[in-house]
Amino acid sequence: MSNSVISVISRFLEEYASSTPNKLKVIDAYLLYIMMTGALQFLYCLLVGTFPFNSFLSGFISCVGSFILAVCLRIQINPQNKGEFLSISPERAFADFLFAHTVLHLVVINFIG
Amino acid sequence: IFVSGISASFILLVLSLVLETQALTPTHHLTTTDVARLQAVLSQPFTDLKSAYYSVVGLSKLGISVADAATCRFIKSNLDPSSVESLFFAAEASQALPGCEIPVSNDTRDLLLATVSEDSTASQIHQSVSALSSLGLPLASQEVVSALKARISKEDNVLTIILALQTASRLSQQAELGEILEEIEDLAARLDDLGGVYLQFEEGLEATALFVSAAYALSDHVDMEPPLKEDQVIQLVNSIFSKKSWDSLSEAFSVASAAESLSNNRFHVPVIVSAQGPAAISHSQPFLRLQVTNVLCKPLSSASVLVESATATSSKSAILSQAPFTLRDGVFELNFMASQPASGYYQFSVAIAGDSRFVANHVELKVKVSTRVSINNMDLSVVDKDQSIGPKTTRVEYPAKAKASFMADSHQIFAMTFQLVDETTGVELTPHQTFVRLHNQKTGQEVVFVAEPDSKNLYKFELDTTERKTEFDSISGTYALYLMVGDATLENPILWNVADVVLKFLDEEAPSTIQAKTLYTPKPEIQHLFREPEKKPPTVVSNAFTALVLSPFLLLLILWFKLGANISNFTLSPSTVLFHIGHAAMLGLMYVYWTHLNMFQTLKYLAIIGSFTFLAGNRMLAQKAVKRYTHLLPVFSRPKCCTVITTKYIMNQQHHYQQSNIEH
Repeated sequence: MSNSVISVISRFLEEYASSTPNKLKVIDAYLLYIMMTGALQFLYCLLVGTFPFNSFLSGFISCVGSFILAVCLRIQINPQNKGEFLSISPERAFADFLFAHTVLHLVVINFIG
Repeated sequence: IFVSGISASFILLVLSLVLETQALTPTHHLTTTDVARLQAVLSQPFTDLKSAYYSVVGLSKLGISVADAATCRFIKSNLDPSSVESLFFAAEASQALPGCEIPVSNDTRDLLLATVSEDSTASQIHQSVSALSSLGLPLASQEVVSALKARISKEDNVLTIILALQTASRLSQQAELGEILEEIEDLAARLDDLGGVYLQFEEGLEATALFVSAAYALSDHVDMEPPLKEDQVIQLVNSIFSKKSWDSLSEAFSVASAAESLSNNRFHVPVIVSAQGPAAISHSQPFLRLQVTNVLCKPLSSASVLVESATATSSKSAILSQAPFTLRDGVFELNFMASQPASGYYQFSVAIAGDSRFVANHVELKVKVSTRVSINNMDLSVVDKDQSIGPKTTRVEYPAKAKASFMADSHQIFAMTFQLVDETTGVELTPHQTFVRLHNQKTGQEVVFVAEPDSKNLYKFELDTTERKTEFDSISGTYALYLMVGDATLENPILWNVADVVLKFLDEEAPSTIQAKTLYTPKPEIQHLFREPEKKPPTVVSNAFTALVLSPFLLLLILWFKLGANISNFTLSPSTVLFHIGHAAMLGLMYVYWTHLNMFQTLKYLAIIGSFTFLAGNRMLAQKAVKRYTHLLPVFSRPKCCTVITTKYIMNQQHHYQQSNIEH
C-alpha cells in the first residue's frame, strides 16, 4: 500500500519537474511560500492565543487572498488553458493580479490595526 | 362614551345647583388691623392735589374726618382753574373738609359746563359733573345723560361704564336714569367668577371696587335695589377684601370707598362673623364669643344673634336650639357650658337678624368643647400564665408611682387596667391617644403599646414576655412604665410614670449593645475596577514567531534561485522604470497608511499614485505584449521580481524567426 503511494508521488514529482514550464514553477514556489506563511501564522494563533484578534485575521486573510489571486494568475497564464481565456492575454492577467492585490492590501492594512 | 359624558355633566349641573342653594359666607374680610393699615396708607402726607383728593376723601369714607386748615390751604394753592381734573380733585376734597370753600369764577363754571358734551371722555364728563355738583353749581342733567349714553355706545369698556354710573348718581332724580341703571346688570354679567369664591373684573381689583361703590351709589340715589344676588355680593366682598396691602393710593381709595358703600347702602350689608380667639370652650372658659361686624369692622349693635341649632358632630344630637347671644362690650357671647355639653366638637348654626339688609347672615361654626381627664382605678398585677388564680393587684393613684417594682418572666403576664373619666362629670372618655411606653433606662430602648378599651370603656393592657420578646430584642432588665393620654379635646394631657417593671426574657439572644439604625451613615466606598488589559505573551515568544513567519521568504528566494528565475529581461524603458517606481510608492503608501493615515487620505494618495502606476504599467505591459507577438513567443516578464527567459533564449528564437522569414 505505502509502496504504491510512494510510487505515485515520485511519478507525480517527475512529471511535474519535466512538463511544467518554468514560469509556472516560479508561481508554484510563490504559492508554497504563501501557504507556509499562513500556516505558521495559524500555528502561532493556536499556541499563544488570539489577542489581538483583528491582526491575526488580517494577516491570515492576506495569506489566503494572495494564495487565491496567485492561483488565478497561474490558471490564466497556463498555455494549456489558452482556449478558455482567449480574451485575456497574460499581460492582462498580470495587470488584474496587481489590481486585485492592491485592493487586498488596502483592506488588510486597514484591518491590521 | 357620549352617554357617560352627558350623564356626568348632568350630575355636575345638579351638584352645582345643590351647592349654590347653600348660602355663601365671606372667606376674606378686613380685620381691624387691616382697616388700620388702610387708614395709614391713606394718611400718608400728600405731594399733589390728586393724592390730597385720595387721602382726604378716602379717610372721610372710612369715617375719619380731616379737619385741617393746612390741607385746605394746600388744596387752594395747588388748584389750577383751567384744568377740569384739578377742579374735580379740589371740589371733592373741599367738600369732605368742613369749612373749606373753593372760590368759583364764571370762567370756571363755563369751562365745566362746556366739558359736558359727547366729545369729552367719560372721565372728563364725570369730573366736570362731580365738580359742578360739589361746588353747588347748576347743571343740566338731561344733557349729561345724553352725553353719557353717547359715550357708552362709543366706548363700551368697563371703566367708562363705571364712571357713567358714578356720574349718574350726582344728577337730579328727575332725569331719565333708567338706561344707565340697566348698565349695572350688564356690567355685573361681565364679572369673572373664580371658583365660585371670587367675582372680579379682569381689569383688576380697583375696577371691581369702583364698580361696587358706583353701583350702590346710583342704586341709593334712585332707590332701586341693584340686580346683584346675595352670593354675588359675598363673592365681590371676597375679591375686594382679599388683598391686604395696596399698590397705590388710588387702589386703597377704591377699597375704602367700596367698604363704605357696602357698610352704608340701603340694600345689601354683608355681615362678617368671627369667633374671638379660638372657638373653644372649657370649664375655665365657658363663654363662646363672637364678633359680628360690617365690612369696615364696625360692630353691628342693632343685630340680634341667635343659635339656631348646635349639634354634636359625632352623635348628631342637638344640644341647643334657638338660643340667643347676649351683647356685651360690642361682642356677642353665649354661655355654652351651661348646657353641659360632653367634650368633643359641635356644629353651630348661627343666624344674625335685625336688619333686612343683612347679607350672609347665616353662619356655620365649628366649636370645640374641651375637658379635663382623670384616671381612675389604675390596677397593676402580675398573673401566672397557667393559673389565673388570685393575682396580686396593686392600685396606684395618679400622680404617684408604685413603690415596688413588678417582676415578670416568661411564665407570667403583666396586666394593667384603668378607667379614663371626665373630671367634672365623671363620664367615661375614650381619648384618641392612650399609649403605654416601656423605657429601658440602661440601654435607652423604648417600646410603645396601645391600650384598648373594652365594651364597658375599661382600658386593659397586657404584656406577655414571650409573645413580645421581638419588640424588646429579648433584653432583660428594668423598664420604666409610662402611661400617655392625649386628645384634641383634653386640656390636661397626661404622661405618668406608673411603675417599674423588671422583665426577664428566656433566651438571651440579644446583642450586647444596641446598634442605632445605620441608615444615614456613609456606606462602604465602591472601588471602580478599570478594564484589565489583555494578557500578552512574553516578547521572546512574539519575536521568535515573527522570525519564524518571515522565514518562508528565504525559502522562496532559494527556490526561485534554483529555478533560474532572474530579471535579465528587464528593459530600461521609461514606462518600465516609472511603473516600478509607482508600484513601490504604492507599497510604501500601504506602510504609511498603517502607521499614520486614515482610509480617506490613503484613498486620495492611492488614486493619484495608482492612476500614474496604471498608465505606466499599461504602457509597459503593452510593449511586452507587442514584443511577445512580434517574436511569436510567449514572452512574459514579471516585473514584480524575477523573470524566467534568458536573453540568450530570446535571441535564439529571434534568429530562428528571422531565418524563417528570409527563407520565405
